[in-house]
Order: sequence, then structure tokens, then C-alpha cells
Amino acid sequence: MSNLELNLSQFSPVMQTPLQHFNLSAKQEKMTDAKGVWAHEMALLGYIHLRGNAQNKDFLTAVKKATGVDLPTAACSISVASAITMLNLSPDEWMLICPREQRAGLQKKLEAALTGIHSQVLDSSGGYTSVWLQGKQATDALQHCTVYNLHALTPNKVVGTTFGKASVIIYRLDNGFCLVLRRSFADYIWRYLARAAAPYGLGIAAL
Amino acid sequence: MFVINCPHCQEAREEEEFHYEGEAFIARPANPEAETDDAWGDYLFMKKNPKGWHWEMWNHATGCRKILVAKRNTANHAIAGSWTLSEARKVYDKEQYDAEQATK
Repeated sequence: MSNLELNLSQFSPVMQTPLQHFNLSAKQEKMTDAKGVWAHEMALLGYIHLRGNAQNKDFLTAVKKATGVDLPTAACSISVASAITMLNLSPDEWMLICPREQRAGLQKKLEAALTGIHSQVLDSSGGYTSVWLQGKQATDALQHCTVYNLHALTPNKVVGTTFGKASVIIYRLDNGFCLVLRRSFADYIWRYLARAAAPYGLGIAAL
Repeated sequence: MFVINCPHCQEAREEEEFHYEGEAFIARPANPEAETDDAWGDYLFMKKNPKGWHWEMWNHATGCRKILVAKRNTANHAIAGSWTLSEARKVYDKEQYDAEQATK
């Protein structure tokens, strides 16, 4: 018994990304034209799933009040603000991505604003990670991995689609793609992506 | 392989993104306790298996994860249309009604 107590007192959990074992931060380099694809993990962000009725004006107003950003109600659209990205995943479901340290505050504000409105706010931060992809051949490399026609993925659009045998959420900004992937598939997806990008030259971009 | 238009994502997507969910608009017995085993077994297992037009449900599994209804030709994979469940119900009911009127 005393042993157990001792062990618990020494237990200090450490937050690690699901791509920790690739040690990507040690491989970082400055972006050049020598490599066609540049990737890096946007590690340990905060992910909140928000559900509610987009036809309900009170719901939209409450979300705007809590976050300061308009909820993207059009299919496959996103809202980008300085500290928060909102993805429209389905007609009644959104994913809010923010820095990890702001997650708890954002969730509290949403829950407070949405009190009495039929909705759900769920912290999914433990379940996801993001990989950023850019470079002049990023589209070619990513197209090997998915059935979605990436030329139809215009900036500020998000789609959920296949990635090899798994699935990812991909959204595009002006200068590249962001893959939002499940923690449990992170190893598979990173290896798949690295293999697909190898012929073009894959570099780990320094942040 | 074919392309299905997802009414929720409002976009045509590859079949690979979808999962088949079986025949659409099978009415669940209102009082299952009172059903005979045969009737319940029919409800569960006896599906239409036509060569031709078929009303069926699909799940946009990697996308919005919502159910949609497609009218698909099982012989040549032509798709007459795809709708949300409630919109499809109206089209389906009208088609059933028109077919009934035509046979009278």
C-alpha cells in the first residue's frame, strides 16, 4: 500500500503529441526551394466540437458572443480569426481549433453563452492533432493519399475525406493545407504522407 | 466506382467516402412485441433485391457522417438523385403514389 502511495505521489504526467516518436522538432530546417513539400506538426492545440442548430438565431448569436467570430454556416466553409479557426464539419457540427492554453477558457465561455440553448460543447483536445503542409508540390504529394480532388479544395474550404485507409479533415488556407487527424491514426498518416512526399523531397519546416 | 452527391456537404464526392446503409424507407413495426417471429424476421432480413432502380441509404462516413438517400440503378450504377432523408421521403412517396395511379 505504501508503495502505491509513493508511486502516485511521484506521478507527473507529461503531455506529448502523437507524433512525438518521430522527433520532428530535431529535423526542422529553413524552407528552401530545394524540397517540394514542407510539413510540420502543429502540436498540442485545443480542439472543441460544437453542435447545435444553425437555423436557430439565438445559437448563432451566442457563439458569436463567446468567440467573437461568426460561425461558418455554409457547407464546407471555415472562419479564421487570429486565435481561433472554426471548421464546418456538417450542417449541425463544427470544430473549433485554438491554442491549447485558451481551450478551457473558450469552452467555459461557450458553455456560459449557450446555457438554455439546445447544443453541445465537447473538448476533443486529446483526440486530434494537426499537420501543416505547404510547398510547390504539396498538392501532388497529398493527392496520392486521398480520393478528393484537391484542385476543388479552394482556400478557406474544409472537407472530410479519406487518407489511405483512414480519414482526415483537410482545410486549405492561401499558402497550404492543414490536415486535422485523429491521434490514433497519427502514426499511420504521418508515415503514409512521408512516403508519398518522398519523391518530391520532404522537409520539416522550422516554425 | 461512382460519385454520389452529398446533400449535406452540397458536393459530389467519391463513393469511397461513403458507406452503404441498406434499403431506404423500411417501416419498423409500430408494435414489435405483438409481431410474429416471421413478420419480425421479414422486417429485419427480407430486403428487396431488384435489378434496376433502388432506393437506398448511404452514410457519408468520412465527411459529414450524415445519412442520405440515393435512388440508384443497381444494374448500371446510374444515380437518379440524392436527398436528405426528409426530402427523399417526399419524392419517394410521390413516386409510389404516381405508380399506384398509373396501374388503376
